[in-house]
Amino acid sequence: MKRLIRLRVNGEPVETAVPPNRTLLEMLRDDLGLTGAKEGCGEGDCGACTVLLDGLPVSSCLVLALQAEGREVVTVEGLAREGQLDPLQQAFVEEGGVQCGFCTPGMLLAATSLLAANPDPSEQEIREAIAGNLCRCTGYQKIVESIRRAARRGP
Amino acid sequence: MPAKYEYHQPRTLEDAWRLLAEQPAARLIAGGTDLLVHLRKRVCPPPAALVSLRSIPELAEIQAGRTLRIGAMASVARLAAGPEIGAALPALAQAAQWLGSAQIRNVATIGGNIANASPAADLVPPLLVYEARAELRSAASRREVPLADFFRGPGETCLRPGEILTAVLVERPAPGARSGYLRKGRVRMDLALAGVAALVEQASGICSRARLAACAVARTPLRLRRAEAVLEGARLTPEAIEQAAAAAAAEVSPIDDVRTSAQYRRVLVQVLLRRLLS
Repeated sequence: MKRLIRLRVNGEPVETAVPPNRTLLEMLRDDLGLTGAKEGCGEGDCGACTVLLDGLPVSSCLVLALQAEGREVVTVEGLAREGQLDPLQQAFVEEGGVQCGFCTPGMLLAATSLLAANPDPSEQEIREAIAGNLCRCTGYQKIVESIRRAARRGP
Repeated sequence: MPAKYEYHQPRTLEDAWRLLAEQPAARLIAGGTDLLVHLRKRVCPPPAALVSLRSIPELAEIQAGRTLRIGAMASVARLAAGPEIGAALPALAQAAQWLGSAQIRNVATIGGNIANASPAADLVPPLLVYEARAELRSAASRREVPLADFFRGPGETCLRPGEILTAVLVERPAPGARSGYLRKGRVRMDLALAGVAALVEQASGICSRARLAACAVARTPLRLRRAEAVLEGARLTPEAIEQAAAAAAAEVSPIDDVRTSAQYRRVLVQVLLRRLLS
C-alpha cells in the first residue's frame, strides 16, 4: 500500500505517495523526474546514485523513500542557482572533470559535502572523500583537479 | 526494486516490540545498507514487514560515562569522526574509518554491523578486544551478552524472537592501555580480506593484558585467545610477537573465496598482528 510522505528536495517541499519498497533513488528518478542521480550497481558500491540527505552523502539506492520522510534531499539538479552552475560544477567544466558523465552527479555531491566540511582538502582527503564513487572512464586525475580548483577558488 | 513488504517506523521501543509481536515474520532494519542489498538480490526471503529503528531517539544516543553506552543506531560516520569514541576507543574509531565509503558510513550503524553477523564485520574485532557487551531487550526482558558469545555463524546470532539489540556497552580501557585495528582489503573500499584488533597493557616492560581479535578469517569474528596467552606475562620482544602471530594463524579457520585464499588470510593475520604489536 502506498503511503504519503513529505520531504524537501532541492529546497522545495515535496509530497508524494510511495510504496514501502520504493528506494529514494526510484522516487527521485521515476516519481519526481530528477534523473541526475543514476543507478549503477544498485548495491552501494559505485556511488552513481549519491545524493545529500540532511547534508551528508548517501547511496540513494540503499535508502528507502520512506526513510527520507521529513528530511532534506539535495540532488545534482539542486546545485545550480538561477541557471548558473555552482563553483564546483564550473571547475569540473574547466578542468575536464567530465567524460561520459555517468558518475558526475555523484562525484559532485560527494565533493560538495567534502568542501562544506573541509574547504581546503589535501589530495589524499579528496581521494578518500570520493573513494565510494567509481568513474569507469577512469578520469580520476581530472576529477581530483576539478575539486582542488573549486577549493582554491572558494565558494 | 526490492521485494514487497510493509514498512513501519515506530517512535518508541514499546511500539517496536508490539509490531514484532504482531508480525513475527517482520525484520528489523537499522541503516539498511546490508539488508536492502540482500532483499534486492533475494539472498534472504522477503519479510512480511520491515520495522525501522531510526525514529527511536534513545537508540541513537552515545553516553560517555565510565561505561560507554553506544546506542545501536549510532552511525558508523559518528564513530569514525566523533570525539566521544576516538579518544576512548581508538581501535573502534579506526575500524569505523575503514568501513565502506562515506555514503555507507553516513547510513550504516553499529547495531546493524553487529546484528548482520557478517564474518567480515569491521567494527567487531575492536569491540571484542574491548570486551564489549551487547544489550538485548525485549518487551519482557533485558540481558547483557558478551559480544564474543553473540555470534553463532554467518548471519546467525543469539537474538531471540522479539529481542532488539539496543546498545553496546564498553568499559573504558585502563589509562595506559594501547589499542588499534588494522585491516587489509583488495582496494580501500572493499570488505576486509582480514582484519585484526589488539589491546595491550604493559607494566614494567611485561605485557600484563593482551586482547586480540580478528574478522574475515572464520565463520564469525573471533577472539585470538591462544595468541593472547602467548603474550600475557611476556615481554613484547620480536620473538614473542612472532610466536603469538604463529598461534593466531593456527587458531583461525579462513576459507577460500572470490576475494582471496585461506592461505593468504592466514598470512595476513600474522602480518597485521605483527604490525599492531611492533
